[in-house]
Amino acid sequence: MSYPPKLSGIIDLFSGLSDAEKRETLIAYADQAKSQEPREGEIFALEDIRKDEECTDTVAVFLRLDDQGGAHFRVTLGPQVQTLTRAMSSILCKGLDGISPADVFEIPSDFVPKIVGAELVRVRSQTVYYLLTRMKGIVKVWLQRQRSSALADQEQSED
Amino acid sequence: MSIDPTYAHPEALVTTAWVSEHLSDANFRIIESNEDVLLYETGHLPGAVHIDWQRDLQDQTIRDYIQPEAFASLCARNGITPETTCIFYGDKSNWWACYALWVFRLFGHDKVKIMDGGREKWIAEGRPLTREIPRYAASTYPVPAVRRDSEIRAFYDQALVHSRSALPMIDVRSPGEFNGSVTHMPEYPQEGVLRGGHIPGAHSIPWKQAVNADATFRSAAELRKIYEEDLGLNPGSDVVAYCRIGERSSHTWFVLTYLLGFSKVRNYDGSWTEWGNRVGAPIEKSI
Repeated sequence: MSYPPKLSGIIDLFSGLSDAEKRETLIAYADQAKSQEPREGEIFALEDIRKDEECTDTVAVFLRLDDQGGAHFRVTLGPQVQTLTRAMSSILCKGLDGISPADVFEIPSDFVPKIVGAELVRVRSQTVYYLLTRMKGIVKVWLQRQRSSALADQEQSED
Repeated sequence: MSIDPTYAHPEALVTTAWVSEHLSDANFRIIESNEDVLLYETGHLPGAVHIDWQRDLQDQTIRDYIQPEAFASLCARNGITPETTCIFYGDKSNWWACYALWVFRLFGHDKVKIMDGGREKWIAEGRPLTREIPRYAASTYPVPAVRRDSEIRAFYDQALVHSRSALPMIDVRSPGEFNGSVTHMPEYPQEGVLRGGHIPGAHSIPWKQAVNADATFRSAAELRKIYEEDLGLNPGSDVVAYCRIGERSSHTWFVLTYLLGFSKVRNYDGSWTEWGNRVGAPIEKSI
């Protein structure tokens, strides 16, 4: 599967950078994490707020669907969340914005090392994949509910 | 808040206020060392250099610390000489600062201090951070003749003898790691430990008991109560401390060595990631 255009753009941006430049760019994304929080008036299809053992603080993931069925994520991060997770929240909220939930679920995670670099993957393997796993998780729940709902509708129409 | 003068070596700690007045003092080098690999770049004390516990202090091939040549090179590129007093601070209540300090001591660099309260306290007090990376003229740092492993470091075989001899051994991990119900610390991933539990005979004194809510060290009286009155140790006790990879236990090593004045404390840095994976290593569980 190819990457969605916005994510491809981010991957391309990182792919030409040295390790030091990658770190600088990750910091810049981490600085923008606050702007990915839910905004007033937004209505979400699902909210997943929890504190996992894999992360140092609470992470809340919010999923909104637009009229065309595109997925949009918002993320709230607790104050102890590490810088790398902050960076990934910005990258993923921007990179996955607007693609279908099914496509989010199918995205291979092999783009992560291209963004953060092999060294950070080696020392922080859980951290760099954590938020993608959370986003796929909330999308999976949404897809399952859609299927259950469709099945129920189908059974009702057959009765 | 000042440093408790009744610590065995109160000079090993400095306050955030003291550091703020010595940021530009050429006799000192302020060193940040963190758990969060990108935290330094998001902002650090003005003039502070960054020492990464994995990249800078560990051998990248063998599980071991760097060799004396690499330590001399690390110091030289950060403008540190044997006469420089290194002041360590960092996140996580100074875990990694203590770890870096302990590694500096391995190479005989004894002019070391911890900024009490670390990053948390500095930020909580509204003190300035900068993203400017300081550049110091390279210094000349003679290659240490030896790494002083035998003085402050314990290896598996020594820890095993210690356990069999019923000598004091402190497990500083969380209660769940100690009793064997989990193999990793809360909030952290499982990083490849096959068995849970603790070294036979070890006492559970989580490192966190030694710090206050603001990340500063507890008073000498409070620390004596924990380690001397309750655990029965004394400054002459031959103690081995361990955790998962040696970082939390270097915090306890610092407490026992510098704040309580224990003369024979070793950090078993192989810790549970070695012991819990080692074929045939004896293990106790308490669940």
